[in-house]
Amino acid sequence: MITEVGNFILSISATLSLCMFSVIFFKKYVGINSRYTFCKIISLTISFLILVSFILLAYAFLTDDFSLRYVANNSNISLDTIYKFSAVWGAHEGSILLWVLVLSVWASCIPILSSNMPKNIIIDMLSIMGILILFFLTFILFSSNPFDRIFPIPLNGRDLNPLLQDPGLIIHPPMLYIGYVGTSVPFVFAVAVLLNGHINTEWISWLRKWVVTSWVFLTIGISLGSWWAYHELGWGGWWFWDPVENASFMPWLAITALLHSLIVSEKRELFINWTILLAILTFSLSLLGAFLVRSGILVSVHAFANDPERGLYILLFLSLVIGLSLALYFLKSKLLISNNQYSITSKEFILLLNNLFLTITTFSILLGTLYPLITSSLDLGKISVGAPYFNFIFSALMLPIVFLMSFAIYSSWSKTNYSYLIKKLGLLLFYSVIIVYIYMNFYLQSDIFVVFLALSLAIFTIFSSSIKILQFLYNSGCSNILKSIFSLPSSMVSNIFAHIGIGVLIIGITMSNYYSIQKEVVMKKNSQVTIKDTSIKFIGVKNKISNNYASQVGIFDAYKNNNYLISFFPEKRTYNIQKNIMTEAAINSTLTRDIYVALGESLSNDSWVVRIYYKPYIQLLWYGVGLMILGGLFGIFGRNKLENIK
Amino acid sequence: MIHKLSVLPISIFLVILYFLFSGLSKDPTLIPSPLIGKPVPEFSSTTLFEKKTITNTDLLGETYLLNVWGSWCYGCSIEHDFIMDINSKKTIKIYGLNYKDKRFAAINWLEKKGNPYKSIIFDDTGSIAIDFGVYGAPETFLINDEGIVIHKHIGPIDQAYYKKIILPVIEK
Repeated sequence: MITEVGNFILSISATLSLCMFSVIFFKKYVGINSRYTFCKIISLTISFLILVSFILLAYAFLTDDFSLRYVANNSNISLDTIYKFSAVWGAHEGSILLWVLVLSVWASCIPILSSNMPKNIIIDMLSIMGILILFFLTFILFSSNPFDRIFPIPLNGRDLNPLLQDPGLIIHPPMLYIGYVGTSVPFVFAVAVLLNGHINTEWISWLRKWVVTSWVFLTIGISLGSWWAYHELGWGGWWFWDPVENASFMPWLAITALLHSLIVSEKRELFINWTILLAILTFSLSLLGAFLVRSGILVSVHAFANDPERGLYILLFLSLVIGLSLALYFLKSKLLISNNQYSITSKEFILLLNNLFLTITTFSILLGTLYPLITSSLDLGKISVGAPYFNFIFSALMLPIVFLMSFAIYSSWSKTNYSYLIKKLGLLLFYSVIIVYIYMNFYLQSDIFVVFLALSLAIFTIFSSSIKILQFLYNSGCSNILKSIFSLPSSMVSNIFAHIGIGVLIIGITMSNYYSIQKEVVMKKNSQVTIKDTSIKFIGVKNKISNNYASQVGIFDAYKNNNYLISFFPEKRTYNIQKNIMTEAAINSTLTRDIYVALGESLSNDSWVVRIYYKPYIQLLWYGVGLMILGGLFGIFGRNKLENIK
Repeated sequence: MIHKLSVLPISIFLVILYFLFSGLSKDPTLIPSPLIGKPVPEFSSTTLFEKKTITNTDLLGETYLLNVWGSWCYGCSIEHDFIMDINSKKTIKIYGLNYKDKRFAAINWLEKKGNPYKSIIFDDTGSIAIDFGVYGAPETFLINDEGIVIHKHIGPIDQAYYKKIILPVIEK
């Protein structure tokens, strides 16, 4: 039953999305209001239908309906209910269904939240959404159908990949997809604007909320993935420059650039055709990411079911959509050039530099990711570019961006009094350098120059941003602090939070990268290992049986200055069905350090290989990301105008 | 009415597209290991049967094959008979790297199918395999007496591999 209903619903949705697309050809024949209503109703219907098919698939998982091949391959009777649910998007077919569900929901939100946008733009946006949805639906129906049957029906399923049986991975893919797919909104906006040949700043400020929203989801999605890698993979790392990670990071960089160029376009009517190009670019990178992940064209540690045929389908679509929109850009972008001038001492110039660096960074990562492909097509041999390339390029290009951040915050539109700016920021920079110098020399006793540079810039950013907001509070003259905090313009709060977040993030990355201590030791019962100021005693190992796995749990007690601190219970799990072994590291976190204990192999006579890491300030990484997300949320929900401020 | 620079994005896109299409027709698993010509990564683990410590230095001194396998891996059971054959020729030593496996399952598997390995490194977490850049089992590394990686093969090995890759090295 589920197969038939599922296929039927998806086919109907595909037909409806074709109808929605065809509206673009009826401009001359049908009135604008009927076209608008038609698109609005169709887009809502599509998202409702796809939601129903998604619920059907979830129902099949929850009721262990192994007559569906996809369910049989990715679930098992003994799987926890919550993982049965998250298994819906645990593999290729289901994740594409989730993708198209998110896409259709984004599309149906456009007319609902259209506010003052002119109807013809909204109609064009929806029509183009129609073709995007149609593509993904046909992709599902013809090559990745989660409703396919299997015969004979197996008695039990092959279980969900144990790597994916983790709380972090329940919400990581949906968040990432909402962000990824959200880039389609600025894309269809860009195409609609190019088709219509004119733009106005109100539309840009409308678009900005959409972009910030998908930026927030993308940020949450990527950081959850990192967080998961840190907790689950047992290597103590959180970013590996793997092609799949790069695939999600490139759209993030592009959308970050877009976020900044939108501000300039909105406030100063500048760089408008650059903004439009960035919108197309961001979505292209999302599609390219989907292609890289699904085609198996590059080898990645992320074990997805790869299939060149699926890759070909995505690639053909990608060339069509991106090719056509860039051709349209080539023909029409001239229409959008404004004659506004800007000076080298203005905020817009600094934001232009920001865009320049972010774009270069994006392309460097793209180049590194595609490098094996390029060299092999040109018969230069096959070369893979590893983490050293990415680390070097990325930090070399990021440091100038971070340096510019404070200047962007303090400068003004059109023209800035530079001597005042340099005096003020120069002093702050000087203080930051001194503080970091003292900290590194006397406390850390380290003289790594890159660390010095990164920390100084991070502190400089945090200082300058915090002072800006304090100054604003002071100038507002309100006696009630709470009231004056709430009276701050949300755009300012949002950018200050996000930039302080970046500073905090950099401190976390730098400290944990350069000053981690790692020990791989053989421990017997009751033996002790000291790492930094904490000694860790191995108490023993006990066995634990759970629903779908059996595990060995190590017991470790940590002492600091002979006082009991905490116990660690790292696990080694063996999953019953797929026989995979998973390491569950035990982590104790405080603001200043994480201690990370992972159980290795068992040796003879009760001794075990144990991996212990001491990672200073790695928590700041997550706090930094948290601040950035908070900043984004302010940008979405906060008020835009300067109200109630004296 | 056309802006000169606006031709740039689509040109760049077409170039990238060319590489993507040409990459699609190529097999990414043919990317050679960056380890070739370099010493094997350092590792320290236990042997599968005796649970004795084994490190990369223990393997030095003669040319050997390092075969990455697991009892769960289908390709490994395909190549296993052939690995037994090579071992019976006594021309080259074979070490095993037991990848993401359970000890008893691995021992069981070898007891059924025969054990061609001189010694087996037990790597249940796959962390040693990560250092070796293993994509998935089976994979086979040819390593010389100084511990330098000479060749890497992905997938089951066969007669052709023995003739083309191993024989020339042995006969040298």
